[in-house]
Amino acid sequence: MSVSPGLETKYVSRAALLGPDYRGVNFELLCELGDEVKSGAAVMRDLRRPEIRFSAPVSGRISRIERGARRKLISLQIDVDDSLAVARFEPPASNDSVSIRNFMLESGAWSTLRTRPFGNIPDPDGKPTAVFVTALDAEPLAPNTRTIIDTYLQEFRAAVNALAGISDAPLYVCHAPDHALVFEDSSRIRCATFNGGYSASLPGVHINELCPIGLGGGEVWHIGYQDVIALGHLLLHGKPWLQRVISLGGNAVRNPRSLAVYPGSAIGELLAKEVNDGPSRILAGSSIYGRQLATGSAYLDAGQRQITVLGASAGDSIGTTASTNNAVIPSETLEKLILPGIFPVPLMRALQLGDAERARELGALELVEEDVMLLSRACVSHNDYAVLLRDVLDQLEGARR
Amino acid sequence: MNFLLPNSGNGRQRMLQLQLLALLPVSIAALVNTGYQYLVAVAQNNALSTDDFRSRLARGLGANHESLGLYDMLAAGFAHLVPILALALLVGGFWERIIAERRQTPMEPGFILVALLFTLLLPGAAAFGHVVFGMSFAMLVGRGIFGGDGKTFLSPALLGIAIVQVSFPGVADQHPLWSGLAGYAGSDAIAVYHRGGEAALSAIDIDLWSAFIGSTPGTMGTTSILAVLLGAALLLIERLIAWRLLIAQVIGLFVFATLFNLLGTGPGASAMPAYWHLLLGSFAFGAVFLACDPVASACTNPGRWIQGFTIALLVVLIRVANPTHPDAVIPALLLASILAPLIDHLVIAWNIRGRARRHV
Repeated sequence: MSVSPGLETKYVSRAALLGPDYRGVNFELLCELGDEVKSGAAVMRDLRRPEIRFSAPVSGRISRIERGARRKLISLQIDVDDSLAVARFEPPASNDSVSIRNFMLESGAWSTLRTRPFGNIPDPDGKPTAVFVTALDAEPLAPNTRTIIDTYLQEFRAAVNALAGISDAPLYVCHAPDHALVFEDSSRIRCATFNGGYSASLPGVHINELCPIGLGGGEVWHIGYQDVIALGHLLLHGKPWLQRVISLGGNAVRNPRSLAVYPGSAIGELLAKEVNDGPSRILAGSSIYGRQLATGSAYLDAGQRQITVLGASAGDSIGTTASTNNAVIPSETLEKLILPGIFPVPLMRALQLGDAERARELGALELVEEDVMLLSRACVSHNDYAVLLRDVLDQLEGARR
Repeated sequence: MNFLLPNSGNGRQRMLQLQLLALLPVSIAALVNTGYQYLVAVAQNNALSTDDFRSRLARGLGANHESLGLYDMLAAGFAHLVPILALALLVGGFWERIIAERRQTPMEPGFILVALLFTLLLPGAAAFGHVVFGMSFAMLVGRGIFGGDGKTFLSPALLGIAIVQVSFPGVADQHPLWSGLAGYAGSDAIAVYHRGGEAALSAIDIDLWSAFIGSTPGTMGTTSILAVLLGAALLLIERLIAWRLLIAQVIGLFVFATLFNLLGTGPGASAMPAYWHLLLGSFAFGAVFLACDPVASACTNPGRWIQGFTIALLVVLIRVANPTHPDAVIPALLLASILAPLIDHLVIAWNIRGRARRHV
């Protein structure tokens, strides 16, 4: 197994695939409790779109299948064994759209693509208007994107070239200004520079700038840089990349640093002996866009790049202060916390009322939860706009089907 | 600015505390200037009866009518401002309590801000009955029926003061001390300008400097531009008010006033240069504390520009065209505030059209 140079690795004994990471998917299990699985082997597929498969992040024995309300899958947990058995995949014979799509579907890499609007896994025969590769991370204490991509430059390039072939749409590689990524095939692949502020690495910002979503019913796809590297690994080596690079940060962490870990690692194990004593809050993601985790068992979610642990006194949290009056009070603070071109206050009011049609007109289709995180934190009403937005998006998606 | 209000917790409370803090310089200026105006009037007019409640209170606090020391001014100002404020708070708290009980919700402290703003917009000699009337109207029609803080459609204090102005237009004329030319509508200074231009202003000792620091007659809180600027700075730094709306009002005032100067025909307010428009009357106060009320103003950025220019146009227009209403700020703000949802509606419709035109 290849190890990133200069990065400490930390391996855990349990990893999981999380159901809530894949919105709108009804999982059909391809394995049973107690089965031994190879890493990269398909363990689940989508009931509605059976071509879409989900592969095991690690090799080992399936130890628990956790289900929640209405038997929705919450997590499929795997006890890691030492066999390091990996599933092998035949790289696509040609570079045409069909064979690349089939390869991605078969290897499970398709499930790392996301659509905007809605943030779903795209349909296997979907037609995007554009594809976005997020090759920067501007959030505080994020792992160094540049080092990681440069280490896996071959894989990254192979995957970007392949992704450019999955449709006729242009592929935008969004990168930081000091990190030039040169691609030869410049007719299809376009590079775009983003800087300025913590929001510079949100796909919503890139899409809003380069291919803004209107009301016409089209969609764009996006994918994160580590998932691109994982795809490149599959393409070049025929086997899955068993690593993700995450950073461990926050004022309650003893030794903040980047770590190479298994995808889907158990966060409790990762944090063992890393956190100062005393009460603390664990965030999945950065201190800006992170989502607070309940204590207990939790796993890295798909695309998670950071764990932030804050001491109990630092910062505030959303939705904690009970208040009977939840009116939105406009202020200048709110104006810059959302994508340009969207009026925050009318949108917040529409979300609060659950007025899906109005929210759609005001630009809700351009957004997913992470894009309204800052509004929830800044608004005096203590509304959780991420939840409200998801309700509205669910309504809109239901109407579209 | 966090050091000013450590541990202020809940965002809504902190917002209210900052708004009250921003009104502190204005309140101090109101105390001093009200006292000063009172003492000057008494000194100039020996025949004046000083037997009313406020004069007795001022004397009781030890305000010396002969000399004009800082303490005398503060004591005399206290005798005028604090009874009105206390009454306004009492009335506001009373209605808030009743509304909260009827609704079975906790009392919201927002009425404190309403009472303070309302008080600062009254002349020092406002009748107590009018305070009760205006404050009740503000609390019930301006605030209560819409559901409290953050849900109002007009600034409650603005509505309260407007109803007092409309209902008792000439009442302050009857008061010997505040021989107001304009009654509650405020600015004696602008009325003076109307009649005699700059010469008339200098005859009653108003120059640019005194108008800036606020030692001019007028409603209590609105005379000192300096104090308003301090409050505005705090609100802008804390990003509580929209700078676009504020700047649009000031730019608009200069543009439209200059326009009228160029077109102007008479010696009245149409010849008044823009800086006098800004310095006299309650424009500055209204622009910062009433027009920029975050809930009752436009909530989109283009809408804020439009509303700001609308306010400026209305203020200049009413001042020029209607000498019986020399200050014009309150009706202008009221009209613009009523227009705000319409402005927002048009801006949003335009925004949606742009979104619908995208090709995705």
